[in-house]
Amino acid sequence: MANKKLKSASAVILRAREHESYGTLVWRRFRKSKIAILGGLMVIMLIVLAIFSDFFAPYDPVRLNMRSGYIPPHRVHFIDAEGKFHLRPFIYGWKQVLDENMFPKWVEDTSKAYPIYFFVRGWEYKLLGFIPMNIHLYGLKDPEGMIFLLGSDKFGRDIFSRSCLAGRISLSMSLFGTIISVAVGSVLGVISGYFGGAVDTYMQRFVEFVQSFPQLPLWMALAAIIPDTWDQFAVFVVMSSIFALLSWTLLAREVRGKVLSLRETDFVLAAREMGASDWRIIFHHLYPNTLSHTIVVLTLTIPTIILAESFLSFLGIGIQEPLVSWGVMMREAQTIQTLGFNIWIISPVFFIFIAVLGWNFLGDGLRDAADPYTIL
Amino acid sequence: MISYILRRLLLSIPLLLGISIVSFAIIQLPPGDFATTYQNFLINQANMSPVDAEKAANEYRKIYGLDRPVYEQYLNWIKGIVTEGKFGYSFAYKQDVGQLIAERLPRTLFLALSAHLISTIFGIVIGIYSATHKYSIGDYAATVFAFIGTAAPRFFLAIIAVYFLVIELKSPYVNRFVSPEYSFAPLSWAKFVDILKYSWPVIVIAGFGGIARNMRVMRGNLLDVLNMQYVTTARSKGLREDVVINKHAVPNALHPIIMYQGTVLPYMLQGELEAAIVLNMPSLAPMFYSSLVNQDIYVSGGFLLIYSVLLVLGNLIADVVLALVDPRIRLS
Repeated sequence: MANKKLKSASAVILRAREHESYGTLVWRRFRKSKIAILGGLMVIMLIVLAIFSDFFAPYDPVRLNMRSGYIPPHRVHFIDAEGKFHLRPFIYGWKQVLDENMFPKWVEDTSKAYPIYFFVRGWEYKLLGFIPMNIHLYGLKDPEGMIFLLGSDKFGRDIFSRSCLAGRISLSMSLFGTIISVAVGSVLGVISGYFGGAVDTYMQRFVEFVQSFPQLPLWMALAAIIPDTWDQFAVFVVMSSIFALLSWTLLAREVRGKVLSLRETDFVLAAREMGASDWRIIFHHLYPNTLSHTIVVLTLTIPTIILAESFLSFLGIGIQEPLVSWGVMMREAQTIQTLGFNIWIISPVFFIFIAVLGWNFLGDGLRDAADPYTIL
Repeated sequence: MISYILRRLLLSIPLLLGISIVSFAIIQLPPGDFATTYQNFLINQANMSPVDAEKAANEYRKIYGLDRPVYEQYLNWIKGIVTEGKFGYSFAYKQDVGQLIAERLPRTLFLALSAHLISTIFGIVIGIYSATHKYSIGDYAATVFAFIGTAAPRFFLAIIAVYFLVIELKSPYVNRFVSPEYSFAPLSWAKFVDILKYSWPVIVIAGFGGIARNMRVMRGNLLDVLNMQYVTTARSKGLREDVVINKHAVPNALHPIIMYQGTVLPYMLQGELEAAIVLNMPSLAPMFYSSLVNQDIYVSGGFLLIYSVLLVLGNLIADVVLALVDPRIRLS
C-alpha cells in the first residue's frame, strides 16, 4: 500500500519534470504570431547591419569626398538602355542637365554601364574592431564610378554606408538608455511594492512627480545643456541617461503592482516561514516573476527613445558630428533649399521606421506571449 | 465632485512648484547666459573689442539680475508669476514672457486640441469599423495605417509636408498662423478658415499618431465587448445589428479610450511641438526651441512650466470625464 503510494508520487514528480519550462511555453506562443517573428527579424537585420556596417558599406562612411556631393540614389538595372537583359545588375551614372526652365535636373548617363560585383575589395577596415579586412558586400570594380544606393550627402559620403554606421549609435543608445531605465524602474518598483508603508507612499509620490514633467520638452531642455566640447563617449552616456530619466516610471508602477499582488501569495509566505531573508525573497521569488513585464516594457521603451533621439539629433541638440545617428544624418533637411533639390537626404528615416516598427511588433508579440498560462 | 476638483487643484500647486524648481535649475545649468550670447553678438556682428563687449555684457547682467545668485533669480521669477503674472523678461524678444505665452498659448492649444479632436473622432470611427469588419481588407488597411502612424517620426512627416507644400505645390500658406490681413481682425468664420489653411498640416501630423493609438485601443476593446454575453442577449432579442453595436457595445468600449485621454493630450502636445518646429508655425514650440539654443532662460522656464500645467490639467480633466461617463468609478 505504502509502496504503491510512493510509486504514484514518484510518477507525479517524473511527470512534473517533463513539464515544459516557462521559456518553452513563451516561445511556443510567440512563434505563433507571424508579426512578432517579422518584428524580431527586422530588429536582428538592423543589429547585423550595424555590427558589420563596415562590411555592408561600399565606401568609408566618414571619409569626405567633395567631388561626389549630393548624388541622387543610383538605380539598379537589369535591362540596359537598348533593352538587353544582363544577369549581373548594373547602374548608370548620373549627369546634370538643364531643363526647359533652365533648372538643373538629374538624368541617367546611359553611355556607360557600371556592373555591380559582390564581395569586392574596397577600403580597409577592421571587422568587429580587430580583424583587418577589405572585402565588402557589394561595390563597383570600375574606379571611375561610384555606387550610392540611397544617394550621397553634402560631403559625398554614401548615405547607405552612413546609415549602417549610424545604427550603432541609434540602437545602442536606445538600448543603453532603456537598460538604465529598466534597472532603476524595477529596483524601485520591487522595493516600493515589497516594503509598502511609508516607503511605498513616498516612492509613489515621487513617481507621480516625475510623471508630471512634460517628456519631450524636458528632454529637449536637458539635451540642450550638453556642452559641444564634451568628448563623444560622455555625450553618449549622458544622452542615454537623459532618456532613462523620464522613462523608468512606467515600469516602476507595473513592477510595484505585480510585487504587491505576489507579496501575499502562499509561496512567498512559505518562503518567509522557512526563514528566507528579504533579499532572498525579492531576488529569488518576486523579481523573476516580474521579468516578463520587464521584457515587454523594455521592447516598448526602445522605440520611444529611438524616435526621441532622432528628433533631438535632427534639431541639433542631441548627438553631434562626428558621431552619427539617423537623426543627425537628416539634419541637412532643415534647410528648405537643400531638401528641395536633394530629397534623398531624408532616406535614413527608413532605418528609423524599420527599427521602431520592428521593436513594436516584437513588444506586442512578447506581451501576448509573456503570460502563456492564459487562453487567448 | 467640485470638492474633488478643488482638492486636486490644490494638490497640484506643490507639484508645480517642484516642477518649476527643477525646470529652473536645468535651465540655469549650462555655463554662460544670455549676456554671453549678447557679448558674442557684439564682438562678431558689431565689431566691438572683446574688452568693451565684456563690459557691456556685465552691465547687461546687472540690469536684468543675471549676476544674482541662482536661488535669488528663481525667487524673483516665482514672485513675479504669483504676484504680477509676469513670467520674466525675454532677452531675445524684448518683452515679458507672459505676453509671449498669452499670444502663443491659444495657438498651441488650438493646434493640440484640434489634433486631439480628429484623433478621437477618426480613431473611434475607424476602430469601430475595424472591429465590426474583423479580418476584412478594410481592417487590414486600418492596421497597416495604425502601424505607420505609430512608427513614422513626426518630424519626418513634417519634413514631407514642407517638401510638398513649398516645393511641389508652392503653397503660400506656410510659416504663419494667420494671413496678415486677419492678424488683428476679431475671430470670425473667414478668419477661422484662414487659420485652418495654415495649420492643417500641423494638426494632421500631430493627430495622426493619436488616430492610430485610439484606433487600436478601440478595436481591441470593442472586440472584447462584442464577446460578452449581454451582447449575445441583445442580438437574440432580435435587435438590429447597428443598434446592438452603437447602443450596447460601443458605449462600454469607450471607457478605456477616455481613461487614455490623460496620456493622449501630452502626446498631442509633443506632436504639435515636433510638427510646429519643423513647419515653423509660430506657436509655443519653435520659440521654446530657439530659447533653449540661445539661453533665453525665462522663455524656456516659463514654457516648461506651461507644458507641465497643461499636463496636470489634462490628467485632471480625463479623470473627471471618466467619472462622469462611468458611474462605477468613484472620485476620492
